Amino acid sequence: MIKYIFKRILSLIPVMLGVAFIVFTLLYLTPGDPARIVLGDQATEEALHEFREKEGLNDPFLVQFGNYVWKAVTRGDIGRSYMTRRSVANEIMSAFPSTLKLALSCVIAAIILGVPIGILSAIRQNSLFDNVTRFLAMVGLSMPVFWQGVLLILLFSVKLRWFPSSGFDTWATLVLPTLTLACNPLAVITRMTRSSMLEVVRQDYIRTARAKGQSERIVIWRHALGNALIPIVTVIGLQFGTLLAGAVLTESIFSIPGVGRLMVDAIKMRDYPVVQGGVLFIAITFSFVNLMVDLLYAWVDPRIRAQYK
Amino acid sequence: MSAQAPVKMKSEAGLLDIWNRLRKNHLALFGLVIVVLLVFFAITADFIAPYRYDQQNLMKAFESPSKEHFFGTDEFGRDIFSRIIHGSRISLQVGMIAVGIAVVFGGLLGSVAGYYGGRIDNLIMRAMDILLSIPSILLAIAIAASLGPGLYNMMVAVGISSTPQYARIIRGSVLSLRGQEFVEAAKAVGSSDTRIILKHIIPNCLAPIIVQSTLGVASAILTAAGLSFIGLGIQPPTPEWGAMLSGGREYIRDYAYMTIFPGLAIMITILALNFLGDGLRDVLDPKLKR
Amino acid sequence: MKGNSRTKAAVLAVSALVILGLAAVPALAKDTLTIANIYDARSLDPIIQNEVAASGAICHINETLIDLDAVGNPVPLLAETFEQIDPTTYKFTLRKGVKFHNGDPFTAADMLYTIDRAKSPLGSAIKQYPEIIESAEAPDDYTVIIKIKYPFTPFWGTMAHTSLAVVNKRAVEEKGDMYPLNPVGTGPFFMKEWVKNDKLVLERFEDYWGKKPEYKTLVMRSVPESVNRTIELETGAVDIAYKIPTADVSRVKDNKDLGVIGAFEHSVTYMGFNCEKEPWNNPKVREAVKLALDINGARHAVFRGTSLTPVSIVPPTIKYTDKDLPAPARNLEKAKQLLAEAGVKLPLKAQIWSNAYKPRVDLAQIFQAQLKEVGIEVEAKVLEWGAYLDGLKLGDHDMFILGWVISSVDPDGIMSGIIHTKGGSNYSRFYNDEVDKLIDQGKTMPDGPEREKVYMDLQKMLAELNPVLYLYNEESFYGIRNNVDNFVPSPRGYHNLTGVTFK
Repeated sequence: MIKYIFKRILSLIPVMLGVAFIVFTLLYLTPGDPARIVLGDQATEEALHEFREKEGLNDPFLVQFGNYVWKAVTRGDIGRSYMTRRSVANEIMSAFPSTLKLALSCVIAAIILGVPIGILSAIRQNSLFDNVTRFLAMVGLSMPVFWQGVLLILLFSVKLRWFPSSGFDTWATLVLPTLTLACNPLAVITRMTRSSMLEVVRQDYIRTARAKGQSERIVIWRHALGNALIPIVTVIGLQFGTLLAGAVLTESIFSIPGVGRLMVDAIKMRDYPVVQGGVLFIAITFSFVNLMVDLLYAWVDPRIRAQYK
Repeated sequence: MSAQAPVKMKSEAGLLDIWNRLRKNHLALFGLVIVVLLVFFAITADFIAPYRYDQQNLMKAFESPSKEHFFGTDEFGRDIFSRIIHGSRISLQVGMIAVGIAVVFGGLLGSVAGYYGGRIDNLIMRAMDILLSIPSILLAIAIAASLGPGLYNMMVAVGISSTPQYARIIRGSVLSLRGQEFVEAAKAVGSSDTRIILKHIIPNCLAPIIVQSTLGVASAILTAAGLSFIGLGIQPPTPEWGAMLSGGREYIRDYAYMTIFPGLAIMITILALNFLGDGLRDVLDPKLKR
Repeated sequence: MKGNSRTKAAVLAVSALVILGLAAVPALAKDTLTIANIYDARSLDPIIQNEVAASGAICHINETLIDLDAVGNPVPLLAETFEQIDPTTYKFTLRKGVKFHNGDPFTAADMLYTIDRAKSPLGSAIKQYPEIIESAEAPDDYTVIIKIKYPFTPFWGTMAHTSLAVVNKRAVEEKGDMYPLNPVGTGPFFMKEWVKNDKLVLERFEDYWGKKPEYKTLVMRSVPESVNRTIELETGAVDIAYKIPTADVSRVKDNKDLGVIGAFEHSVTYMGFNCEKEPWNNPKVREAVKLALDINGARHAVFRGTSLTPVSIVPPTIKYTDKDLPAPARNLEKAKQLLAEAGVKLPLKAQIWSNAYKPRVDLAQIFQAQLKEVGIEVEAKVLEWGAYLDGLKLGDHDMFILGWVISSVDPDGIMSGIIHTKGGSNYSRFYNDEVDKLIDQGKTMPDGPEREKVYMDLQKMLAELNPVLYLYNEESFYGIRNNVDNFVPSPRGYHNLTGVTFK
């Protein structure tokens, strides 16, 4: 097992290198001189030139990339933001807690609502409840997040004055963004729970348990759900990973100082180090969450565990 | 019994059978109807839209929905209903071209990876893993920023960011088909690899491709709208729904209809495509249900 | 029934919690001033950036030797008296007994350190300000003599700019990299807490040398969504909302708890021609475009009646602006005639570039429709900021919409910036020797009727040659709660809130 974990972690390294390379290439090909943008359009030619020299922007592509990787690997230095001159790590770390807060809040809401509803839906397959739930889940998947957020603000902030429309300190400010962002994961988790339960309920061992005279409740909650959990957990993990990657649009609408917004602003302002470091960070986080899910999967599923004994 | 026979039978009796089964799914049918309607709007927009999409009339700006202007007018006095109709053309174009790009490239990469296996497979899939570890919206934003604004660039950005999923799916299908006897038979007869891939393998991957594409068009439209919303992509006065939504945001307190209608258009389109995709998935291969 | 009353109780409980949560805010309101701005400061180090958002925060923490009044005349701040000894020498006598937030006394050495630091490579973003300074000396602890490289009338503006706000040497050296997050200054506030891109919390400095603010805490929140800023104002979460959208102005005015203040800045937005490209190199063609457009009508539509249509390149808030120049008026016949005289083949295809700032995008679209009527087919291209500046440098453009903020509060600012041949932002590629000569003259002449004449002449010439067309002087609207008093927005675009009081 340890060997497997180790191998997986090692395999992340080429992936990260690849990510860094892709981002670097994209930025290199992007029009727009960071010097101009960062220093403002009233800056002197000399200042612009100095900036480009200092940041190595005049070096050939591979040299720039090589330097970047070397510094990152040997010193953990992923550069400084062009705009604020703080270290990129600093910038990301001040934005990440907000994103984490939002992601956790959404995932928890999605699990608390989605799993029970999914189970109920599966038990009462094709009933009115089931059909309505499936329809609503689909609607949840189809709503554009930016539209939903804007409408929620209109209803709850403006008309009803129940919740604030921006800021991120009190729990009240968490409500609307969560409502907006959680719909997608909620729909996915509900659907997955339902279909997974449906699959499992058909299995032989369920019939056996029923034949043995076990109460329906134990059949569902212990036998069925236990085995249905695996794909559900996978999906929860994936959704959490996606949410962590920064809900770019939601953060913009609700003025949440998270990683997504940091990225978009950095891309617009050509703050290359922040973009590179940020995407790398997001990619690592995403891959890490996937790894956790896979490991959990392997641990929960006795068949896979047996392979590694 | 030869493995080739069941495959052939499926494709002959298949279509009618598929249609019959699809019909029974009301939601999927609803989805199909909407999609057809949208395609109709997209094609005939120039004729059925009561006004041109860029026709300004500053005197009549900010008019509420009325008999003259079903969905009201925007800040330039342009008819929103007409712009939404024209927008269907844009959205469908974006969706189809983006998915087209993803299917072609993803299909190529996936089938090559799955068919040849080994090192090539490893290499290609690593590359896809790399792309997949970057959230697609972020990737789309980065690509859109580097290509520059414009409708076509946006299609490419969305298309490229969706490629890995198709590569994965097709590779999966190819892998499962590769071992089948009809492939061995074709090889024995001397068919070239390319021929095998094109004539035998890809047609059998169609089912998952169709399902993923339908859902993919929906996802592409959503991503494109998101990009326009952020301000990357569409050039005015192009009536893209996401851009219309973004443009109306400032006026949402007094003229909410400016955002409601484009939002509804997006939602209904995505809903329809999702229902259709789901229905197709249930019908084309029940084993595909995840 | 039972379920109903239980639900009701639950709703009441939740509402009570919410109200309690929100009620906590107004209870502190009298001692806390909360404002909502668009952007957050990038850093609180005065020399790292040249941005209004940062200046707006820094001005409360670090002070300059002098400040400028609304018309651009210098007034004392950290310098008690100041004078210009000769065309290139200025003398400042510093205030005594001024303390930094960390207890250190303020002396001339701090000013010298500040100037040196501003001129170092770290200050590349604000380089153009201290560049004019040749040397700075401190004959004693409370006197600073500054020599500049050549006579430069707008020098007072340079000294009042936040890039030269005094920093404390000990703090900068001690904190090193972390200094931008932990600034130390002599200002009426010190930094208490900073959640980047969310809020900056400043607290009153009890040992401040001047008149201390009446309230204790200043919270500067960044809310990029304009609609949200208004909403926060209406719910009472903020006391002042900067730059609310014009669409919200009447709503805020009508609200009995709120008020609106409109203010202009030292800025102008213009549409430039690429004067090196055919056919825009022909002044007749440029004038034709001017006559084909209804600039006033477009501005009226885009800004819903607010903002001004400029008649000159120098904004009306800056001295020596020529208010008597004729306002642009549409004349399609004359426009067509001029185009014919210039021998332009119609239809003429052209592009208007702008960045994504909505009013500019909107104007471009209106112009598109208007120019069509004289046979000019315009494509309105919206470029992302980075690509935009790149493209302008390359020189492929036809027409472009851009803005200019005059931070030196002097007409030279815009002339040297965008009109002079050597101007760093002369994207219209307008190279005119006569104009250049006048600009060079005006830059060094002392204020007075002779200088005024130079600028009057310049403005008249530009109105005839039309390298750029003047589109609007933007009016910014600030929403405030009725219990807020003494908030006076500054035309510099950033505002010192020290004097604000609650009724």
